Amino acid sequence: MTAPTVLLAIDIGGTFTDLVALDFDSGRVAVEKLLTTYPDPSLAVLEGARSLLERAGLSPARIRYVVHGTTLITNTLIERKGARTALLATAGFRDAVEIGNEGRYDMYDLALRKPAPLAERRLRFDVPERTLADGRVWQPLDLACLACLRQVCAQLRAERVEAVAICFLHAYTNPAHELAAREIVEAELPGVAVSASHQVAPGMREYPRASTTIANAYVQPVTGRYLERVEEGLQSSGIAAPLNIMLSSGGTTTVAASRDFPIRLVESGPAGGALAGLHWGRLLGQTDVFAFDMGGTTAKAALTRAGELAISHQSEVAHVHRFKRGSGLPLMTPMIEMIEIGAGGGSIAHLNALGLPAIGPESAGSSPGPASYGAGGTQPTVTDADLLLGYLNPDYFAGGDIQLDRQAARASFAKLSAALDLPLERTAWGVHQLVNENMAAAARVHAAERGLEIRRYCMVATGGAGPVHACGVASGLGVRRIIIPPIAGVASAFGFLTAPIAFDFTRSYVSRLDELDLGELNRILAELEQDGRRIVEAAGVAAQDISARLNIDMRYVGQGYEVRVPFAMDELQQRHIAEMRRVFEAEYRAFYGQLADGVPIEAVNWRILISGPQPRVDAAEFGEARTASDSPVARRHVRFAPDQAPMETPVFRRERLSASWSAEGPCIIEEEASTTVVAPGWSVAVAASGCLLLTREDAQA
Amino acid sequence: MRTKSLSAAENPMIDPITLEVIWRRLISVVDEQAAALIHSSFTTVVREAGDLSAGVFDRAGNMVAQSVTGTPGHINTMANCVRNFIAPNYPIDSLDPGDTLITNDPWEASGHLFDLTIVSPVFYRGRGVAWFASTCHAVDIGGATMGGDARSLYEEGLAIPLMKLFRAGEPNQQLFDIIRANVRVPDQVIGDIYAQEVGNQVGARKLIEMLEEYDLPDIEAVSAQILDRTEAAVRAAIGRLPDGAYRNTIAIDGFDQPLTIACEIAVAGDSLSVDYAGSSPQVDRGINVVLNYTHAYTTYTLMAALAPGIPNNEGAFRPIEVRAPLGSILNCKRPAPVSARHLIGHFVSQPLLTALSEVVPEQVIANGSAGLWNTMMDGLDENGREFAYVFFSAGGMGAACDRDGLSATAFPSGIMGVPVESIETAAPLLMHRRELRADSGGAGRFRGGLGQIMELEIITGAPANHSCMYDRTGNPAQGLLGGQPGAAGDLRLSDGSRPHPKSHYVLQPGQRVLLELPGGGGFGESFMREPGRVLADVRQGYITVEAAERDYGVAIDAATMTIDEAATARLRRENDE
Repeated sequence: MTAPTVLLAIDIGGTFTDLVALDFDSGRVAVEKLLTTYPDPSLAVLEGARSLLERAGLSPARIRYVVHGTTLITNTLIERKGARTALLATAGFRDAVEIGNEGRYDMYDLALRKPAPLAERRLRFDVPERTLADGRVWQPLDLACLACLRQVCAQLRAERVEAVAICFLHAYTNPAHELAAREIVEAELPGVAVSASHQVAPGMREYPRASTTIANAYVQPVTGRYLERVEEGLQSSGIAAPLNIMLSSGGTTTVAASRDFPIRLVESGPAGGALAGLHWGRLLGQTDVFAFDMGGTTAKAALTRAGELAISHQSEVAHVHRFKRGSGLPLMTPMIEMIEIGAGGGSIAHLNALGLPAIGPESAGSSPGPASYGAGGTQPTVTDADLLLGYLNPDYFAGGDIQLDRQAARASFAKLSAALDLPLERTAWGVHQLVNENMAAAARVHAAERGLEIRRYCMVATGGAGPVHACGVASGLGVRRIIIPPIAGVASAFGFLTAPIAFDFTRSYVSRLDELDLGELNRILAELEQDGRRIVEAAGVAAQDISARLNIDMRYVGQGYEVRVPFAMDELQQRHIAEMRRVFEAEYRAFYGQLADGVPIEAVNWRILISGPQPRVDAAEFGEARTASDSPVARRHVRFAPDQAPMETPVFRRERLSASWSAEGPCIIEEEASTTVVAPGWSVAVAASGCLLLTREDAQA
Repeated sequence: MRTKSLSAAENPMIDPITLEVIWRRLISVVDEQAAALIHSSFTTVVREAGDLSAGVFDRAGNMVAQSVTGTPGHINTMANCVRNFIAPNYPIDSLDPGDTLITNDPWEASGHLFDLTIVSPVFYRGRGVAWFASTCHAVDIGGATMGGDARSLYEEGLAIPLMKLFRAGEPNQQLFDIIRANVRVPDQVIGDIYAQEVGNQVGARKLIEMLEEYDLPDIEAVSAQILDRTEAAVRAAIGRLPDGAYRNTIAIDGFDQPLTIACEIAVAGDSLSVDYAGSSPQVDRGINVVLNYTHAYTTYTLMAALAPGIPNNEGAFRPIEVRAPLGSILNCKRPAPVSARHLIGHFVSQPLLTALSEVVPEQVIANGSAGLWNTMMDGLDENGREFAYVFFSAGGMGAACDRDGLSATAFPSGIMGVPVESIETAAPLLMHRRELRADSGGAGRFRGGLGQIMELEIITGAPANHSCMYDRTGNPAQGLLGGQPGAAGDLRLSDGSRPHPKSHYVLQPGQRVLLELPGGGGFGESFMREPGRVLADVRQGYITVEAAERDYGVAIDAATMTIDEAATARLRRENDE
C-alpha cells in the first residue's frame, strides 16, 4: 500500500460545510459543499467526507491527516448555550468580569447594554488567597483556605455546576495557588470541566483574563462532546488518520489540546480565509497581502505584516452590537487580527437621520435575501445594486442556481432613488460605491492603527461578493494588484490545508531590560517551550521538525501599548539584552518614526510559538483538463461611473480561459461561485494555479 | 453665528451620495489622525483611557468631523476653541504651510491648563483649506499637582497663550525650552506634543489625498451641507419637544461648602437655550468651570438624550444656546483656579436630564454618580524611586424608564478604568478588594446602577501622599419619577477617620483606605418593581433581603430564596395606604 498522501480539510460555517481534499502525489484537489446540519453539525461532516472520497475515488486509507475548523464554539457563545459555569476568584475580586473597563462603547447611547458575564454573580465565589504583582505570596492558600474551597465545591455540586473557571490575581506570575485550587476542584467535582487562568490566558489584566477563562470553561463540555462525535464518526467511515483542529491563531492542534483550550478555536473559519490569502499572495510572489472576503452579510479582512499574518491577543466575541467595538466579551487568546464590517451582498441600503444614504448593518441575509432573489425581499441591497449596474448576470448567479429578477431589483430601488432625487442607476451606483468606501475606510483605519502603508499591498479577494467589489475597494485604497484565487467558494477550508501544526504559550513577566533576572526568565521560557513541544509532538510532528520562535512585547516605561518584537530563540544571556534594545528600537522607529531617548525600556509579555513545518500545497491543480476558449461568451452593458453611459463589456467564463489569457478592463469574468468585475483602467491575466491577477495600469509607477 | 464660505456658494450642490461618500472618508481621516496620535503618545490616560479628541475643521474653523475616540469635555471644547479663538486670531490665510498653533488657555480651550490644544492648518494648491486639531491631557503642566487645592490659576502651572508651536515646519525652540523648564516629566510632555503634531500631519496628508481623488478644491461645500443637514436634524429633534421652560436644581458636595447647579431649558420651536442662572458663585478652589466646558457637557448631554443618532459637529451646536452668569461656578472669571473643573462640570448633565424628564421621560436616565473618582498616590517606592500613579473609577449610572442603571460605569465622561493588576504592577499599592457595592443602587421600578467598593493600602513600608477627588459623599444621586436616590459615596480609613474627599493627606503604612463609590438613582416607584426582579437581585447579591423588604416591599425567605407571596402582598398593600 502507498503512503498516505491526502490532506482533508473540513470547515463548518453557519450555512455551509465545506470540504477540500488535496492529494500531494497528483496535486489533485477535490471539493465538496453541503448545508450545515443542526443541531448536530457532525452529521454533515461525516456525510461530506464520505461523498467527497467516493467522488474523488480516494480510499480513506490514503488520508494522512484531517484538519477541522468549526463555528460551534463561536455560536455557543453568541447563543449563550454553553455549560453552567462558576468562577473562583481571589477574595474581593469576583466582580472584575462585571465591572469590566467601566467605559461605554457608544458615547451617545443612554440605553447602552453591556454583555452579561457568562458566569452570573451568584456563581462567582471568593477564595481567600493573594499573590502580589511580582509573584510573592501575600496570603497563602493555607489549610483554612482549602477548607473554605471545599465548602465552595459543595455549593457548586448543589448548584449542579458543569464547568469551573479559576482566576486569581497575578496568577500569570505565580500559578501555585491556581494549581492547588484546580487539584481540589478536580478531586471534589469529578467530571466537571476546570479552566485555570494561568493556563488559558496567562497575561496581565484581570478583566480580560477572567473573561477568557470563563468563556473557555463555558464551551469546554460542548466542545468535548462534539469532538468525540467527529472523531468516532471519522473512524467509523474508515478514516483512521489523525484529526487536527484549526485554531484562531492560524495553526492547528490536537483534539486533546482543543478540549483543554476550546476558546482558541473561536473564529477559526475566518483564520482559514486569511491563511488562504497569504498562500495565494506568496504563490504569486507577494508578501504584503490584504486578504479580503465579502459574503452575504459581512466582509472580513486581514493584513500581513512583514510577510506574516498579524496575531492579536485582544479580541472580543459575542457582541451585544455585532459591529460595535467594545460591546463583546473580551478574549486574550491569540487570534489572527481581522477587520469585520457589516457589509455584504445582502446588506440593506436606507436613509440615515441626515437624509443621506447608508448601507447595513441590517441584512436581508439568505432569506428572504435581496429583492432580486424574488423570495419576498423588498428592500434594496448591495446585490440588487450590483445587478442593476450590470455586474451580475441574472441567469448565471451561483452558477444559475438562483435566477435574479431585474424588475424586482428596480422596484426595490424606486423609493430610495425618489428620496434622494436621483436616477435609479445613479442611486444603484451610489450604493455600490458607498459599500466599497465603507470597506476601504475600515481597512484604512485598521492599517493606520498599526502603522502600515496599505497602498503597497496586494489584495486577495474571495467570497461570493469579494471579486465583484475588489476593484472598487482597491481603488479607494490606492491598492494596485488584486488576486482572485480559484475555488474562492471554499477559501477557508483550503486555507486550513496550509496551516502548520502549532501552539503558542504566553507569560507576562514585566521587567525593565536593565533589571531582567535571566535565570528566572530562562526557566520560564524553557517551561513554555516544553509545554508547546509536548502538544505539537502529540500531533505527530517529529521532534527534529519542530521550530520555536520567541516574540517579546516591549515598551518604554510609562507607555501602555507594547510593540511586539521577534527575537532569536536561545538561552538568554547578558549580551542579549543590548540586542533586545536594538531590535525594539528598530521596530519602534519603523512604527512611530522616532525614539523616546533616555526613557528606559521594559519587557511585558514573552510569547513562544512552537510549530511544525508548513505544509507545501503549491502543487495544487484545480479543475479538470478542458478545451480552452478565450473569446467572450457574451457582451452586456455595464456601468462603471456615475455620470457616464454604460459601456458595452465583454463577458468571459473563467473555467474556459487558457493559461496565457489576458485582457484589458472593462471586462467581466463569470464563474459558479462569483463574478470578477475588471474596471476600466485595470487589466487582468491568468496566473499560476489558475489565479486571476488584476493590475491597475499605473502599477509600475 | 453662521459662516458660509465663498467657495460653498460657488460650488454646485453635491449630490447626496457623493456627499455621504466624501463624508465617510472625512471620518476615516480623523480616525487615522487619532490612531497616529494614540500610538505615539506617552500618556496612559490618553492611550488606555481615551482622554483625547481629534477633529477636522473647515476654513472658518467649523468642526466638520470628529474621531470616535474622545470625551465630550475635549471634543466640544475643541470645537469652540477653533471656531471662536484660533481661526479669528490666526485666519488661515495669514498662516504658512508648516505652521502649527498651540494653547492651553482654560477659558478659550478645555477648561484647565493640563489640556493642550494643538491646531495645524492644511494647505492644498497654495491655499489653506482646512484645520486639524487635537486636545490631549498632558501628564504634567507644572504648578501644584492635579487637584482642587489651588487658590488661583497662577498656582496651577504653565499657561501657554495662543502662539505658534511650529513656524513653517521649524519648532518654536524658545517655547519648547520654556515647557521643558516648567514640567516635571519634560520628555513625556514634549513627546506627547510631537504625537499630537504627528496626528495632525497624518490627517492633513490623508485629507489632501482625498481632495485629489475627488477633485475638490477644499471641503467648504461638503462642510456647509453636512453642517446644514445636521442642524436640520437636531432642530427636528428639538421641534418634537413641546415649547416651554423646564427647570431643575441639584445640590452637589463642592469643596468645603455644598454647591447648587440650577438650570432652565427653554424650548421655543426648533431652538433651545439653557440658562444656569441661580447656580452658585465661583469659589476659591480649583473646581471652577469655564463657560466653554459647561457648553461642552451641556451640548453632549442634550445630544445623547434628544438626538443620539445625529453626528456631533458644528451644525449640532447651532440650535443650542448655553448661558451661565459670569462669575458663577459654571462661568468663572479669570484667574479663578480651574484644575479640577471636571469635578463640577460633569454634573451639569444631571439637572439637564431631570429637567427633560418632564417632557421626554423615556429618553433620559435618572441621576448617577456623575463625577469620576480620581485617586492619586505618590511617594517613594521600596527602592527609593519616586512613583506617582493616578486612576479613575466610576460609580453607578441612573436607571431608565425600561431598564436598570449600569453598575460601575462612567457617565457623562467617557474615560475607562484601569485593571488592578496594572495598578499593582506600576505602583506599590495593594488592593484588598474591588467589588460591586450591594444596596447602593437607588430603589425604583428600575434600579439604579451599583457603585463599587475599593480597599487599598501602600506596601512600601513608608508613608505616601493620597490626593482625593471624590464627589457625592454628601449629596447622593437623586431618583426620577418616584425612584429612590442611590447611596452616597464614602471615604474612610481603617482607623475610622474620614479625610477630606477633595484634598490630600498622608497615608501611613498598614493603614487601609476604603472607597465606597456612589450608586445611581432609581426610576419609578420601587414598590412597582416586579417581585421576580427583586428576587433575582437578591439571589445575585445586588440587594440584600432586608432592602428587598424595606425598599421594594418584597418579602423573601432567605433560606429557600423564594418570595413570601402573602407577606409581599401585605407589604405592598400597606405601602399603598
